Amino acid sequence: MTDKNFDVIVIGAGHAGCEAALAAARLGCRTLLLATNLDTVAFLACNPSIGGTAKGQIVKEIDALGGEMAINADKSLLQMRMLNRGKGPAVFSPRAQVDKNAYHVNMKRTVERTPNLLLRQGEATEIVINDDKTFSVTTAVQLTYTCKAAVVCCGVYLNSRTLVGQCVRESGPNGFANAKYLTQSLIKLGFNVARFKTGTPARVRLDSIDLSKMVEQSGEEDVQPFSYMSGSVPTAKRHCYLTYSTAETKRIILENKHLAPIYNGSINGVGPRYCPSIEDKIVRFADKERHQIFLEPESEDTCEFYVQGASSSMPASVQEQIYRSIEGLENVEIMRDAYAIEYDCIDATQLDATLMAKHVKGLFFAGQINGTSGYEEAAGQGIVAGINAERYVHGKTPFTLRRDNSYIGVLIDDITTKESVEPYRMMTSRAEHRLILRQDNADLRLTELGRQIGLVSDERYDKYLRKARQISIGQKQLKTVLSPKIYGPLFERKNEAITGAGLTLDEALRRPNITARDLQELGYFEGIDCDALYQIELECKYRGYIEKEKEAIRQADKLENKTLPQDIDYLKIDGLRIEARQKLNKIRPQNLGQAGRILGVSPADIQILIVYLAQNIHNE
Amino acid sequence: MNNTIVALSTARGRAAIAVVRMSGDNAIEIAKKIFHPFPTQPNLLKPGVLETKHFNEHAMCVYFAAPHSYTGENTVEFHCHGGTAVSQAVIEACLDNGAVMAQNGEFSKRAFINGKQNLTNAEGIIEMIEAETASAAKAGANLLENKLGKRIVELQNVLLDAVSACEAALDYPEEDLELPTVQTVKEQLRTVAESLNALIATSALGKVAKYGIDVAIVGKPNVGKSSLLNALIGTDRAIVSDIRGTTRDTLTESVNYRDIRFNFVDTAGLRESSDEIEKEGIRRAKKAADSADVVLHVTDDPNDRSVYPTIRPQVRIYNKCDLFDSKPCCVDSLVVSAKYGDVEIVKETLYEMFSADEIGSSDLLITNERHLDCLKRAEKQLAEAIADCDKTTLDVVTNQIKQAWQTLGEITGNSAQEDVIDRIYSKFCLGK
Repeated sequence: MTDKNFDVIVIGAGHAGCEAALAAARLGCRTLLLATNLDTVAFLACNPSIGGTAKGQIVKEIDALGGEMAINADKSLLQMRMLNRGKGPAVFSPRAQVDKNAYHVNMKRTVERTPNLLLRQGEATEIVINDDKTFSVTTAVQLTYTCKAAVVCCGVYLNSRTLVGQCVRESGPNGFANAKYLTQSLIKLGFNVARFKTGTPARVRLDSIDLSKMVEQSGEEDVQPFSYMSGSVPTAKRHCYLTYSTAETKRIILENKHLAPIYNGSINGVGPRYCPSIEDKIVRFADKERHQIFLEPESEDTCEFYVQGASSSMPASVQEQIYRSIEGLENVEIMRDAYAIEYDCIDATQLDATLMAKHVKGLFFAGQINGTSGYEEAAGQGIVAGINAERYVHGKTPFTLRRDNSYIGVLIDDITTKESVEPYRMMTSRAEHRLILRQDNADLRLTELGRQIGLVSDERYDKYLRKARQISIGQKQLKTVLSPKIYGPLFERKNEAITGAGLTLDEALRRPNITARDLQELGYFEGIDCDALYQIELECKYRGYIEKEKEAIRQADKLENKTLPQDIDYLKIDGLRIEARQKLNKIRPQNLGQAGRILGVSPADIQILIVYLAQNIHNE
Repeated sequence: MNNTIVALSTARGRAAIAVVRMSGDNAIEIAKKIFHPFPTQPNLLKPGVLETKHFNEHAMCVYFAAPHSYTGENTVEFHCHGGTAVSQAVIEACLDNGAVMAQNGEFSKRAFINGKQNLTNAEGIIEMIEAETASAAKAGANLLENKLGKRIVELQNVLLDAVSACEAALDYPEEDLELPTVQTVKEQLRTVAESLNALIATSALGKVAKYGIDVAIVGKPNVGKSSLLNALIGTDRAIVSDIRGTTRDTLTESVNYRDIRFNFVDTAGLRESSDEIEKEGIRRAKKAADSADVVLHVTDDPNDRSVYPTIRPQVRIYNKCDLFDSKPCCVDSLVVSAKYGDVEIVKETLYEMFSADEIGSSDLLITNERHLDCLKRAEKQLAEAIADCDKTTLDVVTNQIKQAWQTLGEITGNSAQEDVIDRIYSKFCLGK
């Protein structure tokens, strides 16, 4: 073995690439992590924030599997909040503001200190499949490395262009160099390439902002950090600020609409509906008076603030006018312009559930190159691709996550099943079993899997076992009966009706205002930590709904377990609508469940497939 | 390649003609071997000779070329003489030349696979085939026209609005959205629940349209129950005599009246008896009364005020009015003479009692058990969701509404997660 031969090469050191490389290296693969520029390692190119609805759940899942994102975010935390309090535990979502510089430095340090992992600057220009099924990866400086498995995580860098009005640059995000050659190599390998776009707002000087006109948003002290390993972390170091656009903002945008690349035809890429530029919002939702704008700190090292909700591709001079029309930003100084960015990505339906290309064994893809958006979505794919690259190299069975055990499972199933027509963002509404996929039980759902894979340390595993054991001990006490004398004062204080008869702990917990901690104060659930207590409480309060959800999973499994033969010629099944036939032929789903999730395949088409399958078995 | 299936398409047994149908890639080829002269063009019924192993059958033949047939495949029909032996021989001839016997419902399944019909269409066709009355056939035709499907989609859209508002609130907590209030969500759910209840309520009438009205004729021995049955159906079906206890077992006979159907059940006369067989007959009479839609309580005593003990609605009938000296004591009863008179008044009364006249004017009746089941489940899920609005969190409520929406989708075969997401984006202004 020479110094240029690796088990796994990961191309790109963003959020997907770091997770993939760390997973592969920690599982024992000699791994090379290539980055076009080492200053871009885990760079937060857009907002200085990790988590949010559905994304916070993904971060917790990565942590439970033994990944790095949660730990790194906790190390770099500026503030943390729990979104959706009051809307129900299924949608509680932790969201953090993180220090962008610290995030990069911390991740880079972790990567550098990981055994088996070599971080190397270099722009990958070509991937070649060798006769012995290994890959050769060549970089721009004409160095060639070989590997048994490669993971492509080049984010938004492929042939990217940034746009500020008429100023179009061949560039990656934040002025970093783009990658000009790899797209051609991927096309040669048989990948379909699409063009997506996204955008980012300007960064402005803190001391040019009139904070007195804004609403301060501070972190919440009682939120737990992302990682189960982080212990206690200060969660309210810095504030964010809320303000609004004005009628003047609207006027300026409508007047200058023709200058926006998105409206004058100079952008070809498809942008996400959920992350529209400020001009997009104003044009599409013309009757809305004002739009929310948040100011978020970029780092402790700088006075730059991120202007959330105001991404734009207008000319810089117009951007200035737009920003200065926002309440409190009348005298704002822009430090970096807002821009739109267009980039190449591949059609992720060419991948299987391990994120390996169906037609090139050993070649994996993760992150925005797969048409997703978001750091968390990228990292979630990264860890799965990294794990599977290792398993491929060592001849182990593939590792896949499911729609009923994780958001990452939902994400990967969605992108490999449905052709993305816009950048894919995770949302809780995409997870049909979200009552079960909660941020509070990611460890219970996935630690065991992470342990089997080999990424979960003894310490993490012990924590998990301890929690699971405590839950089971607590659940055994639920039948304990409380006399009215014992629970009376508590119930009175909490406005719960007292029946006069005895109540079991279970019945008490089903009262909306009674928590497990209340009962612990009465002397029950002794020695059980609050994490475990919370699980016991939720199980009681939501038992009926959770049972229903489990039943729904069993129902869905019926279709998931109906395998579709891989040699079906869907084009010949005339009952299927033409679109369905073409989609099925292209994506070749594994089972009826997956078939049903393909866009363009309707439930009626699935009924036809069910009858067709039964019929064919009968005919044989 | 589809194998070719064959089956008898008309009812088994004695009949003037029988139709044997064959469908599949080789249907025409096989038919050409056994039928001469084979029609020169599709869709035309032509006479000729069909060779079977045992005899030559003078029959008629028509073929339909794919995809312009019921199944969407090449299809041939032989119209031959009725009766078991002839059709059997014709089927054998087809089998000998390469066709296989069709499974139950296989013609329709093929039509389904080949895109000739969707689920509700298929259900409509079945209902039309099974229809015994004009109103049952109309209900089937309505399904074929997809009237129910359109109504369901309207209701689903209201739910979709509610769901997407909730989902947007759940997924975009930091957006400045107009959040759905418990009150508005409840209002939307209530409208849908009311509409579902109205649809479910039509199933009573739907049952009348589809199956008719089950009418049990009960009363003491010898009051003329069997005579009444005979008069109602217009034939001497039941044995009539002066001997008490002539009718022992129940006897069901159906008759169409206007556009619906009555299923009359004659029963044994009710009295104390030690005869084991008669006792069993009386037990069956009570059972028939309890499962009927309505009970005709027959008496021949004008002073009889007794009420038959049943939870079912009942109509008292004073029979043998030709023998009465006085007017019957209860006015809200029917007075007839089954032996001599006209009993149409009985049918007319029952017809009105079940508002069967509304069947003709009603646009949409639920006649299908599966649809009724879906509607009831969706209604229950909505009721739960409405109750949940006050006692639990939005995440759970949203799931409940989604479930109801999906249940409704089972009727039409259309429920998709993606609809919600599209709706969220089209209705709300969302940033990141």
